[in-house]
Amino acid sequence: MSDQQMIAAQVRERAGKGAARAARRAGLVPAVIYGAKKDPTHVTIERRRLQVELAKGGFTSRLLDIAVGDGKEHVLPREIHYHAVTDVPLHVDFLRVTDSTLINVEVPVNFVGEEECPGLKLGGVLNIVRHEVELKCRAGAIPEILTANLAGLEIGDSLRISAIELPGGARPIITDRDFTIATIAAPTVQVEVEAVDEDEEVEGAEGEAKETEDEDGKA
Amino acid sequence: MLSPKRTKYRKAHKGRIHGIAKSGFTLAFGAFGLKAIGPGRVNAREIEAARRAITREMKRAGRVWIRIFPDVPVSKKPTEVRMGKGKGSPEFWMCRVKPGRIMFEVDGVPRAVAEHAFELGAAKLSVPTKIVSRLGEGGH
Repeated sequence: MSDQQMIAAQVRERAGKGAARAARRAGLVPAVIYGAKKDPTHVTIERRRLQVELAKGGFTSRLLDIAVGDGKEHVLPREIHYHAVTDVPLHVDFLRVTDSTLINVEVPVNFVGEEECPGLKLGGVLNIVRHEVELKCRAGAIPEILTANLAGLEIGDSLRISAIELPGGARPIITDRDFTIATIAAPTVQVEVEAVDEDEEVEGAEGEAKETEDEDGKA
Repeated sequence: MLSPKRTKYRKAHKGRIHGIAKSGFTLAFGAFGLKAIGPGRVNAREIEAARRAITREMKRAGRVWIRIFPDVPVSKKPTEVRMGKGKGSPEFWMCRVKPGRIMFEVDGVPRAVAEHAFELGAAKLSVPTKIVSRLGEGGH
């Protein structure tokens, strides 16, 4: 179950890009709190405080308390907008929730038991198909992390959602199939070597063809 | 080397690279990625050289994804040819890379191995880069 952290926020009087940019220049991150059939509240939070929370991991699956003015909002971070180049957080969406609110949430998967996995010992590669799994659960019972055990998996085997123990009340969004979380793939070293050789041959052939063309052009 | 199988036109305009990446700037497959932090034209030879450097450093472990594809033909005139008489013949393929673009991703290796592999790979590329990782793997 998730721990609840308190983050201080200030109400933003003006919305829009001008006000948002001014806030960013002042070392703040604009954010919005919405949901629970109330009007959205535009706020700013300190960038450093937010980055500390982000660095802990699993930010979008942890409930937070946001202190806005005299009040307090119980929220779940829904989306973080990052700068494409600098990866600085630009904006955050928070959803107002109660502990009993039923929500869809992406929970990160942690892989354990690599030492007891015969497939990996034989040189197999862990191919992670889903780094996060989308679950439907109560806001008060969001699992912080899902643990996938790789023990006993051979090369070619796959780990499916049915092999992961989900906490009570949580169920995956995808219900029509037993979807794959990860596979143990065979090493691809031999294939790589062949591919490189082919490339070199093709490159050589192209080079010759171009030289012939150029000579024709000069003539 | 990477090149398109078939193209609609043999020659393309030179073009200019403006702005920052609007897509392809988040990790989609692996735990670690090599992100461009400046604009540039990355050609197929650079991509192949970087891929080889990364793959060799990672040895038998892990997996590599290439997130860029050189689909722009670059033409060149032969040496000692006077100006004019039309555009030169296509010489190589390149990809226009905007700042923010994730060019390579890797997974299945420890952080130290991935970082060293990317350092070697980045040395083969003509754009400035930085290494990024998923949140929970030590920062975005």
